[in-house]
Amino acid sequence: MDGTETQTLTVAVDQREPIPLTGRLTVPAGKLVALVGPSGAGKSSLLRIVAGLLRPQHGVVKLGASCWLDTERRVWLPPEARQVGMLFQHYALMPHCSAEVNVAMALWRLPRRDRQRLARAWLERVGLPESHWHRLPNALSGGEQQRVALARALAAYPKVLLLDEPFSAVDALRRSELYALLATLRQELTMPIVMVTHDLMEARLLADEIAVIDRGALLQQGPTEHLYRSPRNARVAAILGIRNRFVGRWLGPDPLRPGWGRLEWRAHTERDDAPVIAVLPARDKGRIPLGQAVHWVVQNDALTLRTCDAPPCPGNPVRLAVTVTSVRSSGDFSLVEVALSASPQLCWQITLTGRERHRFQVGESAFLCLDPSWIHVMPIRRR
Amino acid sequence: MEWDAFWLSCQLAAATLVLLMPFGVWAGRALAYHTFRGKALIEGLVLLPLVLPPTVLGFYLLVVLGGASPLGEWLHETFGVTLVFNFTGLILASLLFNLPFVIPPAQRAFEAIDPRLREAARVMGLPRYRIFWQVELPLTWRALVAAAVLTFVHTLGEFGVVLMVGGNIPGETRTIAIAIYDRVQAFDLAAANQMALVLLLLSLAAVVTTFALSARAAVPRRSE
Repeated sequence: MDGTETQTLTVAVDQREPIPLTGRLTVPAGKLVALVGPSGAGKSSLLRIVAGLLRPQHGVVKLGASCWLDTERRVWLPPEARQVGMLFQHYALMPHCSAEVNVAMALWRLPRRDRQRLARAWLERVGLPESHWHRLPNALSGGEQQRVALARALAAYPKVLLLDEPFSAVDALRRSELYALLATLRQELTMPIVMVTHDLMEARLLADEIAVIDRGALLQQGPTEHLYRSPRNARVAAILGIRNRFVGRWLGPDPLRPGWGRLEWRAHTERDDAPVIAVLPARDKGRIPLGQAVHWVVQNDALTLRTCDAPPCPGNPVRLAVTVTSVRSSGDFSLVEVALSASPQLCWQITLTGRERHRFQVGESAFLCLDPSWIHVMPIRRR
Repeated sequence: MEWDAFWLSCQLAAATLVLLMPFGVWAGRALAYHTFRGKALIEGLVLLPLVLPPTVLGFYLLVVLGGASPLGEWLHETFGVTLVFNFTGLILASLLFNLPFVIPPAQRAFEAIDPRLREAARVMGLPRYRIFWQVELPLTWRALVAAAVLTFVHTLGEFGVVLMVGGNIPGETRTIAIAIYDRVQAFDLAAANQMALVLLLLSLAAVVTTFALSARAAVPRRSE
């Protein structure tokens, strides 16, 4: 929208002290990458490294060909030289300046008259009513402050946009309005965008890609759907909130079905004589050694819950006899927990929407149909 | 009422303010934003004039700067400057004993600024002088003005150090506080009372101003 060239942001960090932080992050121009992970995982630190507010022990930050940080070559650009737009967690609006002056401050390089004109144009664009332009931040609601902060972050046409928990201080109603605003603005934004969030739904809703960070380590980055379908390991799956995680042993390729292998589902992997629940078909990518202990996960998309009298599922699913153990309604969907009838300690969770959610009662027997092409197998790395 | 003594006191207080405020704001800001080895020692030294008897401070200034000391001798021989028993000496002494009235309040004011505001300003690319003028100063000026008012009044009324370093030379080092003491010694209580009353009213006004400024800074503004 501003005609300037925008490029891919690449970040590589390797730090032991004061907090461990390692990994790589790549954000293509115009893409929004959500950094997700538990609190204290290092999400905000990573953002601060990109902004130049934090200098890692070892690391490289590059935007296209321009280098902002390279500890090996002793390159370091201060934040004021990076042209980054940043939305801080609690907005960090100047408490003594009106909404308009807050935005104009980001435009300080321009002549005074242009500053005011552009600031007003941005406030209009983020939907702050004109009557509020001269209010101080503490006379604005959380959502309004967020709009001002967003206008301020974008006003100077930054080369990178950083959003630190942008919606955490806004109530749920305002939040969906702001999601829509960000989605609208994004159509015109051509710079790489990094958003830190602990809200997975928000990440899935707004991001093109998700990067998972845990205890200072960037574990995996990829397109949202890819990540949910093929998390790299059990920890990534757990952070992404994939509920159906199980263990087993990889039995190798299935001689009768090319491209498929056999997965032995076990109750646990502590001992070799752990009870075997079933042997399931799963896609064979040829990467897992024979007999390897594995985690495996299945996304909700692969699951269908059927009453006992319903006709069999179409296709060739795995059918598991289960008992419904809990039904929890949450807004537009219900979270149903079922236990295997044969081994009740093994539970599955499935979300149901629409008419389906009223069909099942606690204690009822049912069939869980599982599309095996969605089974994702990950080797367990023993430390 | 000895107007020339009062006038001298005002000149001393004004000179102290003009010289001390820029340095005090700089030092307070530096102490607020940086950690370094020996910071606690510096903070302690700054507070020392507050607990030290003024006569002790004055005594050591005399010892260090007097004509008999190596420093005093050197200053006199090199620059022809004497720093005791004259107005310049008073200013120097006044700067020292006002350090605890300027630097710690300035430090606390700068420490109270949310560090994210300065970070936001840096990310916006604002140069340091703009950050100071547009962010830091608007958020600290009440505390700084309060410190300046206290310093001014405190200098008007300072007695011990002034007497030790300046003596009692009319028109040169005879400040209003010393004039009051002098009048009492001469049993001229009416004159002493006049001058004491002026100082009392000025001090009261200063304290009230200071409280008013800090109270307004502390009251949370309207929020929805």
